[in-house]
Amino acid sequence: MNLLNSILYDTIYHSTPLILAVLGGLFAHKANVLNIGLEGMMLMGAFAATLFVYLTGSLWLGILISILLTLVLGLIFSFFGVTLKSNFIITGLGINIFVQAFSSFILKFMALSNINVSNIISVSALKIELPVIRDIPYLSSLLSGHTAITYLSLILIPVVSIIMFRTKFGVYVRVVGENEEAAKSVGISTVKMRYIAVLIGAVLCALAGANLATERMALFTNGMTSGRGFIAIAAIYCGRAMPVKSTVYALIFGLARSLAINLGLFAGPVSGLFEIVPYLMIVIVLFAVSAFEASHSRIRGFKNG
Amino acid sequence: MNQRRWLSNFLSVLSPVVLTLLLGGIIITAIGEDPVLTYSVMIQRSLFSYSGILKTLHFAAPLILTGLAIAITFKANIFNMGVEGQAVLGAFFAGVAGFSFTRLPPALHIALCLLAGMAVGVLFALIPAILKARFKVDEMVVTLMLNYVVVEITKYLSQGVYKDPASGYVSTYAIRESAMFKKIFNSDITGFFFISLVVFAIMIVVFKKSKLGYEITAIGLNPEFAEATGMDVRKKILAIMILSGAMSGLAGAGFLMSEKYRYTLDFSGSPGIGWDGMLIALLGGHNPVGIVVAAVFYSALKTGSDYIGLFTNVPKEIVGVIQGILILFLSVRFIDSRFKVLGRVKALVRSHGVSGSGE
Repeated sequence: MNLLNSILYDTIYHSTPLILAVLGGLFAHKANVLNIGLEGMMLMGAFAATLFVYLTGSLWLGILISILLTLVLGLIFSFFGVTLKSNFIITGLGINIFVQAFSSFILKFMALSNINVSNIISVSALKIELPVIRDIPYLSSLLSGHTAITYLSLILIPVVSIIMFRTKFGVYVRVVGENEEAAKSVGISTVKMRYIAVLIGAVLCALAGANLATERMALFTNGMTSGRGFIAIAAIYCGRAMPVKSTVYALIFGLARSLAINLGLFAGPVSGLFEIVPYLMIVIVLFAVSAFEASHSRIRGFKNG
Repeated sequence: MNQRRWLSNFLSVLSPVVLTLLLGGIIITAIGEDPVLTYSVMIQRSLFSYSGILKTLHFAAPLILTGLAIAITFKANIFNMGVEGQAVLGAFFAGVAGFSFTRLPPALHIALCLLAGMAVGVLFALIPAILKARFKVDEMVVTLMLNYVVVEITKYLSQGVYKDPASGYVSTYAIRESAMFKKIFNSDITGFFFISLVVFAIMIVVFKKSKLGYEITAIGLNPEFAEATGMDVRKKILAIMILSGAMSGLAGAGFLMSEKYRYTLDFSGSPGIGWDGMLIALLGGHNPVGIVVAAVFYSALKTGSDYIGLFTNVPKEIVGVIQGILILFLSVRFIDSRFKVLGRVKALVRSHGVSGSGE
């Protein structure tokens, strides 16, 4: 594969967990629940999926259990955030710290430094070549040879868009976020909508984690999500929680990581510094989006939010 | 009246702590270990001996500073998650100053290193501060991202130019003797602890007596109103973040110069001293005195956790688990410190009881 091909392939490869977390996080964001626990939920997905593949020997059973466990985490978040009306940011942070510590606690207890399941699942066998597309140059590296969850994430983009804008549920979630009192007055259960919104995020984050750790590396290491959940939040912010727009930002951030890794190969001794590119890129994009909006704002002085 | 309020505040801090320790105990039991033994080892080693107490206080020093650094921003409703990054970067460059300068008198060298750490902390805190104040960029995402930037930059530098080839793992050179805080009282404690107390005293004045303290509270309650009354909220955000960055940098620098002496990749621990500060600020209710108490409590858990491996098979990572659960519980208290949570749970049970019987 030449350079352009590997950049294209890696863009989708690195965007997958971001797209899933973005699509999952959108609903909660629209329902006005800022869920920074996405990071912890993704880590939980990655940890539980790999651990249970290790324990059960079955990939799909592992992913299923990881979805269930991440749902429990989502329930905990909603119970504190929605039912007890906690400060979402602190609750999300608690989730993140808990999962990070809990996974390293379990690893230490099992006397493992990481969970390696490459003897159970073969990473290369999980890659699916698409029949016609595989023969088209460039498009094949962009779209072919990815894993099942990657294809699922791409299919989910229009699906989430339709759910958000064409279904009763989507309307309800948006009403709950935009005007809680109005939602209550027409009999929508705001609590129920918010629970569902958070739980959808939990499921998709579990898949994102399973993709990140199990499906593409067959390996779990401590803290391996390294900020991808936060990156998803940045993408949701930039895309104003619109499914397609936010996904585009997720792809931009995936592209940044892909460029950093592929071009880093030529950078010799400074290649280590290329690791900061994706993170800096997000700060710059956030800055550009906010500065653009600020320049159109006619409010004098400081206004929060 | 005042006494009752104090009692309710005390209970609203104590109940999450008790609940968390209970849940932690359940986890310890689940892995087949004895929770009572685990906790008693932790507390005995960190609080029930002369050297244990001093060690606890020694490790509390950076936590007091990161706790204050977070409290000052959270109180103004600035969600500054960058304390971890600022502390680590401050520590790194304090370390660089610590091994780069030679033949300096200790007092001068120590002051120089601390200043280097604080300056780096301030500079790094200014990035999100300017972005927020000037361009309304969300400070939370920016600070979270910058933390990862710090991880990569320090990793790059400590694997490259500043790598100590004599060391078996990735690490910078050790700082010079003249930049180290000396152990005093024949124990772990150093002068850095007293520096953190001085900062604590200054922050009491800032929080309770100064104009800035009043403005922080006002901005935290309602920034638009604060602006309308004539405060320059943008300038205040910068001032708050500069103070926070300085304390974070100082925390990292002092931790390096009194304990670690060199920068390694696991310098800050997991979760790092900045994240510990988050718990401490919440537990202390964003109040300087509360923060010192919380820092000592948490430091005792951390110090004690180093010994549980000697008596049980419980990994010391249990402290991080406890920290996460405790933050979860404290997130509820963060909004109202009174007994409203209990009322909400009761209302919930009642409403569910009614709807449940209807079904």
